[in-house]
This record gives sequence, structure tokens and C-alpha cells, in this order.
Amino acid sequence: MDEMERRAFMRGAAIGALAFSVGGVEVLLTPGAARARGVPLRMLDPQEAETLEALGETLAIGARQAGIAHFIDQQLTLAPAHALLTLRVSEIDPPYVDFYRAVLGAVERATRATFTRRYAELGATEQRDFVDRLRQGKLEAWQGPAQPFVYGTLRNDAIDVVYGTVEGFARLGVPYMPHIAPARSW
Amino acid sequence: MATLDKVDAVIVGAGAAGAVFAAVLARAGKQVVLIEQGPDWQLSDLISSDIWARRLRGSGPPIRYEGRHPVGRTGDHGWGTGGAALHYSANFPRLLPADFNMKSAHGRGLDWPISYADVAPYYDRIAREIGISGDAKAEERWRPPGEPYPMPPLKTFRHGEVWVPGFRSVGITVAPGAVGVNSTEYKGRAACIHDGWCGAGCPTGALANPQATLLGEARAKGAQVRAMSYVTRVLTDAGGARVTGVEYYDADKQRQVQDAHVVVLAAFASQNPRLLFNSATDKHPNGLANASGLVGKYMMAHAGATVSAIFDEDLQNYLGSFGYQFVSYDLHPKTSRKAAFGSTFWNTGAAQKPTDARGIANVRPDLFGKELDEFLVGKARGLARITAICEELPSADNRIELSSEKDEFGFPLVRLIHSFQADAIGLFDAAIAEGVEIAKGAGAKEIWPGRAIGPQHLLGGTVMGKSANDSVVDSFGQTHELANLYVAGCGIFPTESSANPTFTLNALSLRGAEQLVANWSSIAI
Repeated sequence: MDEMERRAFMRGAAIGALAFSVGGVEVLLTPGAARARGVPLRMLDPQEAETLEALGETLAIGARQAGIAHFIDQQLTLAPAHALLTLRVSEIDPPYVDFYRAVLGAVERATRATFTRRYAELGATEQRDFVDRLRQGKLEAWQGPAQPFVYGTLRNDAIDVVYGTVEGFARLGVPYMPHIAPARSW
Repeated sequence: MATLDKVDAVIVGAGAAGAVFAAVLARAGKQVVLIEQGPDWQLSDLISSDIWARRLRGSGPPIRYEGRHPVGRTGDHGWGTGGAALHYSANFPRLLPADFNMKSAHGRGLDWPISYADVAPYYDRIAREIGISGDAKAEERWRPPGEPYPMPPLKTFRHGEVWVPGFRSVGITVAPGAVGVNSTEYKGRAACIHDGWCGAGCPTGALANPQATLLGEARAKGAQVRAMSYVTRVLTDAGGARVTGVEYYDADKQRQVQDAHVVVLAAFASQNPRLLFNSATDKHPNGLANASGLVGKYMMAHAGATVSAIFDEDLQNYLGSFGYQFVSYDLHPKTSRKAAFGSTFWNTGAAQKPTDARGIANVRPDLFGKELDEFLVGKARGLARITAICEELPSADNRIELSSEKDEFGFPLVRLIHSFQADAIGLFDAAIAEGVEIAKGAGAKEIWPGRAIGPQHLLGGTVMGKSANDSVVDSFGQTHELANLYVAGCGIFPTESSANPTFTLNALSLRGAEQLVANWSSIAI
């Protein structure tokens, strides 16, 4: 087979769908579609999800709409060996939900201590300033995992949903050229 | 608990080293069982996505990383059949003669019990066995002559080519990199189509991963793979003179004993010491093959120095393979740098995707939000980088030990204590400074030298030597104390050079496996 035939042979179908439970039935949806349809979250509570979406949006524009909260929530329902989170290649032990809850709780405590409001209620400039200080490990009111590590992990999560998909590649002008396209759930 | 029928050889770990041993033993008609901690990946599982590819990494029992420069879960860490070689860069630089006698020549580090000439024939044979693309003649400005590589070098791309004038500007000569990626069809395997997904595992057969090469051959010749099976101990006879097999927990977490005439430990460099320590008996109170107290000692990592730069053109940096387009051993001589001792290996030209640790987005980890988007949408098209792999000398302070924490079966986990010494840090600093000059010479518009010294690869911990007084194994990987127990992989390197370890660990495994087969009647009694 020549190159183009082989690429065509190996190309899969739709990209980036996750297995979400809707009305007791598993359906494949992108995280963004799951968010748009209001698929209930199973691990994160609404406040945690709101904070995560707001943080994700600060880190990578479009992360909220791309479904960062639904992506992470769905991944946290899986056995650690099946998770696709960047956290699995770190030194953090599963269950990974403990990490996210610790982080999101620490963010809320820190923003309340500094701004007397929740992160999601801050203005865009305040959110950027908060994340920039998190990046540099300069949040004085922080009580959670190491700040630069938290910044890096959440940033990678946001980058995954915004830029790591076929649509994300296309937006960057990078041809995806899969050997086997990610047609199954991720 | 079941005791399974005795086999000729049980191999712990179905990665690159285990695959070589399995293939050689299976060719010799031996009954081989590979016990693999992770899943049994097939080529059809290798989805082209950095996100999906995380399934191939970083699972299993925790490892504790300590010291001033913790090695962490490096990109080398595999999970499942094929190990790290399932999704590797397939860079196949070899060690050079000066790597084998550092202690004798310079009074630094350790000597190998063998020379380059002992390994050289196995480099050539591995090149033919699994398929390497490269230009041997071009490399021979740095090394003794050998056989040509079976395939010509891979096609080059602008994100590699753009650096060549920069290297030249500082007096560094480059040559095509030797890579385990097919530049032409080879042994029925397809040629690379340069889509840059090696890091997610290549399902086309163009990348020389074990599934496509020696593990596949071993299975075809009857070797069995038992996946999702976690080995806890190597078992010995009552007198402690021989190993009798391994204890493991299968996919259903049931305890099993696999008896075998020979045991080969080919797990990750951090896990072979775990097994030796945890197999202690009254006859081997400090662990198997550890009368010297050297199990776990001399753990090493490479110090990776990366300089990224933006050029004023679309470099199509997503094309190619993860392998090097260009390399240089010019700074391999151990005294090349005034400020530090050891080798440096320059390379460039690996394809880059937007995400993940090695992805474009993490070239500028300081950017987020609008600035990140502007960088990725605009400037990143002109991004390219070079990396210097810097040698770390073996130090007994860098070590693998048992942790006070236990795995789910009640056996201690391991902790890896690692700090770069002054020489490795000096080589890193010199490489970063040199890399900036190379980037300037190449005409880069913006230059970002890597700030943090990044450990790459994991070597040592079960080093080879001449006797049980100075080492754990001999040059074949055979333990000094237990004739039918072997250790395979880059854990047996007594020094690491600055070259990626894969070619050498394959060559050493081939040499060790053939020695085992040749002496089978006296070893596997």
C-alpha cells in the first residue's frame, strides 16, 4: 500500500468521544457535548466543577466549553490504570479524585482568604493574577499540593481538551495524520 | 496458590531486554514464559493521540523519588508488553570505546569488564535483527568501523535541518542519527510515513517496537506472555545455591509459582533491585546476588539540556519521527569540557505535537490563556529544539532501596534517591550555554534555554563487573552468586555514556542470551 492508502486504511471515525452515562445508558459524547447536554457529573460536586471550569478557562481559552470538568470527572470514574490524565505520569498516587478535591478546595480557601470570594466569582484580571501567582508558588494563603505542580497539572488538563483533540490540532494548523484515530472513548 | 509446570526460562518483564532474551531462547527451542506487570498491548491498541498514549505509561505500584534531582517517572517508563520500547524515540546511538574504561583511563567512575570490541558485533547484529536506519560511514569519524546499517538514514525535515548551520558555527560536526525506524520496507515491515506519532506507539510496524520485532518472533516460536501479573519474589532452593522460579500474583490477584530452570530479570531498572531485595532468604539475608551490598547502588540518569528556539519560517515540526535527525559525538571525549568531566551527546530533529510533556505547549510552561493561544497558533510553527544528553558518573550515593511502604501484596516498594553531582551539573550548564550559541548561529529569532536540569533514562543499580566483590552481574548479565539467575537491561551498565541506552541494552541482551544458550547444559541443570 502507498502512504495515502495506508493512512486511509488506518483512519478511524469520530474523535475524542467519552463514555458518559445518560439516563442509565452509556453513550459516546465529546466532553464538550456532554457539558452542553448537561450530563450529570459523578465525582465532582457542582461547586468543584464550576471552579475547575473557571480555572481551565483561565489556563486555556475554550476549556470550559470544551468540557474540562466533564473530561476530568469522567476520568475520575475509571480505574487508575485506565485513566488518561497527565496525573498518571506524575508521582501522585491514586485515587486521583483526592488530588483534584484537595486542589479545588485549596483554590477556594485561597481566593476567599485573599479576595473574600470564590475563584469563579473573580474578575478575569483577578483570576489571571491568582493563576500567575500559583504558577510561581507565591500564593501565601495556599494550603494544598505544591503550587507549581498544581498549575502544571491543571494547565495540561486544559491544554488536553482545547488543543489535544483533532479539532484542537486543526485550529493550530497542525495536520493530525493519525495511524489509528482515537475513535473510542477517552 | 498453584505451582505451575516447570519451564526452561521465566523472564520477568516483556520490554526490550526481555524480548531479546525470549527470542533467542525460543529460537533455541526453549520453553519460555514472560511475566509482565501491565497489559498485553497489540499494535491495534496504539491510538495516535498523546492523551491515549498515557495508558502505555506510569501505572503499577508507586515508586518513591527522592534526592535533589528526583528521577521521576521518566518517559522511559513503560507499562505493559513492549515496555518503554513500545512508545520510544527509537534512538540508537551506541557507546564508544572510551565509555568502557573510564576508571582505567581517567581514574573516574567504573570500568566495564568488557571493551567496545566485545559489544561491537552485537551492535551490528541487533541492527540487522530489528532494523536500524542510519549512516555508519558518517558515524565512523567518531567510532571504529563496523557494518553498514541495513537501511539508509530517515528523511530529514526543516525543524532538524535548520540547526545544522548553527552546529557548524560553533565547530560541531553532525551526522544522521541511527534510529530504529524503517526508512524503507524491512523484513516485511512498512517504511515510516513521517507522521510523528512514535510517542503514542506505532501500529504500522515502521517503529522497531518489540511487538513488531523480537517479542513478536518469540511468541511465534512459542513463548508465552502472562500479562497483568506482578512478580514479588525470585525463589531459591533450600541451599540457596540456585533459583527455582518466581512467585507472582496473576490478573485475578491469585498467588502463583512458576518453576523454571533459569530466571531472567528484565523488568525496569528500578524493579530488578526490588525483586532481588525482596527475595532475601537466610542464605541471602541482604537479597539475592547482593553479597557485595551493591544491589541498588550506582543508579544513574542522564542530564538532559534542551534549548528551544523560534525561527522565522514554518518548520513543519510535527513531521518526522521521534528519532534524531542529526547527532554529534564531537563532545564525547570525557575531557571535552574544561569545567566538568564526562561526555555530551548533541541531537536534534524529533517531531513535536502540541500536547504532553515533550509537546510544544510545554516549551513555554509560563504561558497560559491568551498568551498561550497566541504562542501556539502563531509562533509555534517556527519552533525547533536541540538537546544535549550529558553523562552522569556512577555514585554509590545514587541508589535504589526498599521503602517502608508496602505494595498490595505486602512486599516493600522501592525508593530512588538521586542527586546530580558537580560534573553532570557542569556538563549541563556548559551544554545550555553552547546550545544558545548554536541557536544564534542557526539564525534563531527567539531562544529559550531550558532552566531545569532534567533527568532522562534510568540506568545502573545492578551493575556488571569482574567479580561479586565489585558488582552484581558479569558482562553477560549472569549474577555472580546464582548461576541460573540473569539480570537484563540498562541496569547492568556500570557507566552510562551520554548516548541513549537502548541500542546497548539490546546488544548486551543478545550477547547474554546467546551465552546462556551456548552454556545451557551447565547453567540450567
